[in-house]
Amino acid sequence: MNKMDLSAPTRQSIKGLVFIFLQTVRQAVRMFWALIALLVIQKNIFEHKAILPIAGMVIFLLFIAHSVLYYLNFYFYVKDGEFILKKGYLRKEVLTIPLERIQSVNTKQNLIQQFLDVVALEIDTAGTVGKELKIHALEKSFANALHDLLSNNVVNSEAEENIETEITSITEKLILKLEPLNLLKIGISQNHLRTGLIILAFGYQIFNQVQEIFKDKAVEYSGEFVNYMSNSSLALIVFLALFFLLVSVLISLLRTLIKYFEFRLMRKENAYRIEAGIINKRNVVLPHTKIQELNWETGPIKKQFGIYTLVFKQAVSGQNKKVQLVDAPGCLTEHLELLKNDLFGEDKLSESARIYTNPYYFRRLWIFMGWLPVFLATPFLYPEWLFWLAACLWLLATSGYSFLILRKSYFNINNEQIRISSGAISHNWKQMELFKIQSVEFKQTFFQKRRSLASLKLMNASGSLRIPYINDKLAKQIYNYLLYHTEISEKSWM
Amino acid sequence: MKNFTNSILLPEELPEIETKTFNPLDKKYLKITLIRMSVFFLLLIGAFISFLFLSDENVPKAVITTIFSVLAFFIIYTVVITIVAFPRKGYLVRENDISFQRGLVTYKLTTVPFNRIQHVEVNQGVLAKLFMLSSLKLYTAGGTASDLSIQGLPEDIAKNLKAFLSEKISEHE
Repeated sequence: MNKMDLSAPTRQSIKGLVFIFLQTVRQAVRMFWALIALLVIQKNIFEHKAILPIAGMVIFLLFIAHSVLYYLNFYFYVKDGEFILKKGYLRKEVLTIPLERIQSVNTKQNLIQQFLDVVALEIDTAGTVGKELKIHALEKSFANALHDLLSNNVVNSEAEENIETEITSITEKLILKLEPLNLLKIGISQNHLRTGLIILAFGYQIFNQVQEIFKDKAVEYSGEFVNYMSNSSLALIVFLALFFLLVSVLISLLRTLIKYFEFRLMRKENAYRIEAGIINKRNVVLPHTKIQELNWETGPIKKQFGIYTLVFKQAVSGQNKKVQLVDAPGCLTEHLELLKNDLFGEDKLSESARIYTNPYYFRRLWIFMGWLPVFLATPFLYPEWLFWLAACLWLLATSGYSFLILRKSYFNINNEQIRISSGAISHNWKQMELFKIQSVEFKQTFFQKRRSLASLKLMNASGSLRIPYINDKLAKQIYNYLLYHTEISEKSWM
Repeated sequence: MKNFTNSILLPEELPEIETKTFNPLDKKYLKITLIRMSVFFLLLIGAFISFLFLSDENVPKAVITTIFSVLAFFIIYTVVITIVAFPRKGYLVRENDISFQRGLVTYKLTTVPFNRIQHVEVNQGVLAKLFMLSSLKLYTAGGTASDLSIQGLPEDIAKNLKAFLSEKISEHE
């Protein structure tokens, strides 16, 4: 670490030049791919054949000029306890961040960066400074040193005067490592329905874009396809559905493999570190203080394997209003207990009574999910006998679903923490410390009031938690207690 | 539920929010809301009329009457609810937090503790300027869900509230 001199302005690795160039090309291709495809297919769009290569050359040179200028004008240094990053040549930008406000330092590597053997470094900040601080290409050794330097700064500022913690903070303990077999289990237990929908949406988008380019032909083909489908038998449709399911499962597996390859969850003094990925390698540091809420989830298949998916919900930083979540799939009960113990201490919540949502909630769910759609569809479809059959089945299915939701809807609360359970087919839990609350909302509809019921919403820096349909006196009491607790709390929520 | 209330509430008597003590919004704000609404409804009715003119003759009468009655019901319902529910809207500033309540059919009460407010903003639209009203917006960490905006405050009250809250924020930092 000694050879790092951050007081002088430092540029990225020289390989960054290549990276910036490729990144620019990639962005351009992503924006104009439809246009490019059109140019490649319809060769004689310009009268002069030379126009295309010349335009290509000009664009190529412009890209190179942009990359060089961007590279030369991008540097960073530390001065007076502040990390300063300067970038841009036409519009200059200076980003300054006091070292003590650095929340966490993460490194990432996408395919290009892996190929070039460089890493990207992201600096997360607290509060409203929130502009993205990202250095795209650093030599690995340099990035690691900088990473350690900056993240130790984070840990130190939290541990403050105690020097001994500095030594322990560097030693890491491996908590969870995912082997290929674990990945297989995780992949199989994914929500395939969701994957299927993503594939459908994605396919539809591509189809639309292609259709824009080849208007006439697309109509022809899709007409043919619809024709073919409507003439085919039930067996073929069943086969297609099965095939679709199989593809969904395979894609789920692939996605899991790509995202969580060599996943490792490490525990430091006051933080966790997560490493994972094959195409995009990420290395994320999660300081305990930044974690607002811990979520964990299990489903029917996951239960068979005894695994949970865990999500650390972090504070939203500044203008980057995207909620930052970091997940750890394939946790066993022991991992879960360990992490809960780390973040929340000994589990006292189980001692307090479980408070269930009022059964009246079932009626509301069923009306909205079951009866309302049926009522809306009736004027259009009532002559069809098949509709009545489908409606009955739908009502039956939604009543079952609503019942599942009601049964899993409960929470535990004590003076310090709350744990809320929800879910229908899968089962989710959310736990947070009460002083991390940002604001609270009490909601009561006319119908709830008649039955002295109300719902609560607790907002924290990473999102909100809902407690539906509980006794309104109890809701008011919790409301008042939460405010009292937050207002007397001296602890920093981040 | 029985043992819950005893186990959680350590302090004997927690301060309650008295819904009757809330400060109502300025009456002029109701006018603004109604003006905004009527502009929207005029557009809606305009769209409906142009639909009648542009559509073919063969749109069944039943469809037209259905759309018309739904539209009429929607407009009357919204206007009545807005007027009736307006007195329910109000804010309350306590020693340590600020609350806003609204809604008759769906009552909502939101409270933000002072030590969680990030910054405060006073805004004024064109219409509001005519009526000399401002709105106060409180930002907390964690995105739009937890932000609170109080509209229809007289200009000077909004300004004073902002100054008061800004001071409270700096106390906590």
